[in-house]
Amino acid sequence: MDPSLLQDFLTESGELIEQLDADLVSLEAADSPEDAQELCNGCFRALHTIKGAASFLGLTAVTTFAHAAEDTLNKLRKGEIDITQEVMDALLQSADVVKGMIDQLSAGEEAQDGPQKLIDTLHTLAESDDASAEPDANPATPTQEASDADDASKPGTPLNLGPQKLDLLEFMVADLKDASKNIGEAVEGLANDATLEESATYLVEVCDEMEKTAEFFELDELTSLIKVLHAVAGKLNDASRETIEEISIRIKAAKILIDQQADALTDLRALSWPLDTFCSRLTKLAEDGSIDSEVKGQHNGDIQTVLVLDSVIEEQAASESSSQSEDTPQPSTETSNTPTDAAQDKQTESTPDSKNTEKTEKDKSGSSTPAKPIAEQTIRVEVSRLESLLNLVGQLVLNKNRVLALTRNIKDQPIPPEMAEDFSDAAGDLDHLMSELQVSVMRTRMQALAKLFDRYPRVIRDMARMTDKKINLEIVGKDTEVDKSVLEQLADPLVHILRNSSDHGIEKSEDRKKVGKDETGTIRIEAEHQGSHVRVAISDDGNGLDRKVLGQKAIEKGLTTPDQLEQLSDGDVFRFIFAAGFSTAKQVSDLSGRGVGMDVVRTNINKLNGTINIISKKGEGTTIEILIPLTVAIMPAMVVGVGDHVYSIPLQSIIEIVRPEPEEVKSVSGHPVMRLRDMVLPLVDMRKRLGEPPVDNGGRFAVVIAVGGQRVGLCVDRLVGQQEIVIKPLDDSFTQGGPFSGATIQEDGEVCLILDVVELTRNSTPTINDETKLAA
Amino acid sequence: MATETQAQTTEDINDAITQASADSELLQLVSFEVGDEEYAVPILSVQEINRMMQITRVPQSPPFVEGVINLRGKIIPVIDLRKRFGLAKLENSDNVRIIVVEIASRVIGFTVDSVNEVLRINANIVEPAPAMVSGQDTDYVQGVGKLDDRLLILLNLEKLFTSDEIAEIEQTSNAA
Repeated sequence: MDPSLLQDFLTESGELIEQLDADLVSLEAADSPEDAQELCNGCFRALHTIKGAASFLGLTAVTTFAHAAEDTLNKLRKGEIDITQEVMDALLQSADVVKGMIDQLSAGEEAQDGPQKLIDTLHTLAESDDASAEPDANPATPTQEASDADDASKPGTPLNLGPQKLDLLEFMVADLKDASKNIGEAVEGLANDATLEESATYLVEVCDEMEKTAEFFELDELTSLIKVLHAVAGKLNDASRETIEEISIRIKAAKILIDQQADALTDLRALSWPLDTFCSRLTKLAEDGSIDSEVKGQHNGDIQTVLVLDSVIEEQAASESSSQSEDTPQPSTETSNTPTDAAQDKQTESTPDSKNTEKTEKDKSGSSTPAKPIAEQTIRVEVSRLESLLNLVGQLVLNKNRVLALTRNIKDQPIPPEMAEDFSDAAGDLDHLMSELQVSVMRTRMQALAKLFDRYPRVIRDMARMTDKKINLEIVGKDTEVDKSVLEQLADPLVHILRNSSDHGIEKSEDRKKVGKDETGTIRIEAEHQGSHVRVAISDDGNGLDRKVLGQKAIEKGLTTPDQLEQLSDGDVFRFIFAAGFSTAKQVSDLSGRGVGMDVVRTNINKLNGTINIISKKGEGTTIEILIPLTVAIMPAMVVGVGDHVYSIPLQSIIEIVRPEPEEVKSVSGHPVMRLRDMVLPLVDMRKRLGEPPVDNGGRFAVVIAVGGQRVGLCVDRLVGQQEIVIKPLDDSFTQGGPFSGATIQEDGEVCLILDVVELTRNSTPTINDETKLAA
Repeated sequence: MATETQAQTTEDINDAITQASADSELLQLVSFEVGDEEYAVPILSVQEINRMMQITRVPQSPPFVEGVINLRGKIIPVIDLRKRFGLAKLENSDNVRIIVVEIASRVIGFTVDSVNEVLRINANIVEPAPAMVSGQDTDYVQGVGKLDDRLLILLNLEKLFTSDEIAEIEQTSNAA
């Protein structure tokens, strides 16, 4: 199997399945039948596309399972079964199973067969009222007997396909018809010089896809016809206008043949024509534009005539077919762009709105296999390419910093002042352009939070079902964009918070009624930009956090002492929920209670240099507020000197910088502290921390940093200045162990380490110290 | 940071591959000195050899980690092979080079006293390390090559720089 094909399948199916999941949840909650119908169709299309693509790639497990689910969905779509909890559960589970299969495939494993129990459930659901099902509910897969019976009345020879392929027949035919329709569109484009090139390219693409379909049916004739088309399409760009006309009409003729074949396939029949002349003329036309003189211009633009001239069909048959049955498409001279019956059927079925669409519009129809628009508005780019682009921009920023530093120095050199001025102008422009470039590249990596938020209705639905609560989820600001890496790091924390809110926050309906609240609890996710930060707040109207209970638990766990507890603010007490192994749940359930989730939240948010705030009122609800920088790759920092070396501190963590007099520094149980206004500030001697020889000079600075409400002063020797730094990972095992979150490169090309403020605060205060000991 | 030898040019690789297929017995090595001994590593694992450059110390890293350098925008750790081998600090460092290698998709640099040459030797003159010297912390000696007038110690870079090995050393150094 072609790995790139598989990759495409995985990417596309991954997106489809997410859409499917979201649609199914909305379907369950749909208000009007119209909405439900629309969603149902959407779900069906998504599943169908996955199934189709999977069968191309021979992924039997996926195909078989998707087929079972599709049957049920089909019944639902036709209104033969109702939207019940049972049906929705089965369908949502199916979506999970397919997702699981895709994950397995992504991991390079074979997809496991879907659970038989679920397949059986799906079958039972689909067959629940077979009696009332219309006889033509599944017209594309008639029983063998049926087609045997009318062998005589239908053209062509019977087709023998294996049961596996028989299963897929319906949508393979649909694919074929789709492709044929796309050919029709492409041919129209050939008539115009302006659109010639893209139409030709498009035609090649369509032929490419269709070739696979034809191979699936094991129809040699169809396959060779398409191969010829494929080859011809590739040469159209160099052909003369006259030749193109000749070729176009033949492509249209071929399209009719394909349509006929598609119709015949529905009845499991294979058609066959004497195509030799047709194919050789087409090939010859494409090669040198020449055509046998006796047929040149004879067709007068009539497709049927072309077919006769190229001895594909006999003259009599041609006239018969054009006067006869509805099954055979009837081409007409002046309106050769009228969709054929087959194509029309197809359109009515899948895209009612595109039925009357002008052919010139070439818009993408929402049919079962989305046709590629000729001019794409977006392109898919591998993440690694964006990463390397960002990396390059990062290096450019560093280089720019260097140029700016040189420019400052050049002023002191004995050079003509105009030259120095020019130089400084150029450097200024460079600075300006770099910032713009940086922003643009950052934007390519931005993704809407909707990518995460759209999954949550499902999470909440499942939670509500499992805990037997009524929960309403409100999402605000899902269009807010953040850097891809931020998005990834946010995914887990947000789910954990949501679970916590629905499991521990929201009360059961009866309890809510007792305290006079609405029976249905509400969880609200809000996202918005705040300057260079993104704020995500998750609030519930549940029973809130209880300071007493949390404090008690914290003392039990040895995280604090009763005396210390008195001193702590509410926010600090609530923060205990982030400690590893901290859970007030009396029982460990499937959902939560192990005390792991909130630890994940804290760890991930810290990685993003973000902060968390908890606001809670007993009985009224809890709000967890997360503030994270928009991007994690480039940020402003304060460069400080300790001993002979310099280090960077992220500016966003710095509250203020003070200069303590030596006598102000006191010691509390071995930890140095100083009084800063009305609070006691723990100090960290950075010389000691970083293994520099101690010195005795009083003129040092305390950089006050804050991490989630915790304040610590870092004692450094010098302040170097503020700088835009580009964060480089320092993930090698050799460089682990120190309090560093990364490194950056300075103006002079030297490496400068970035201090990990979280690590530094964690190891500087008594309570937190105990906590780490406990966790270890 | 002058790049002295860009070993990993396509030509070199192709060259080496052709060589290898033509005569699988031929080893192509880069030889260098640390202390009094001469060592060698396969040329294909060497990405480049640089003159000494500014190394930024990383506090609280293992003692043999010299620090990190900026290799054209990429930050890589540099290991002092003298310290790794338990030798004293070098007095005259004019010939010191940083050999940058890629091991298990990690880029690491290590300092050596001096780089000697690129040489080709026949694999059959390489003998496995004598059991006496292949003790607990000397697994990284892959073999010894006997040249006319000298001995060449072939290093197994993976063993020399894998985290297992490092963790072990760290433990011993912590205990000490």
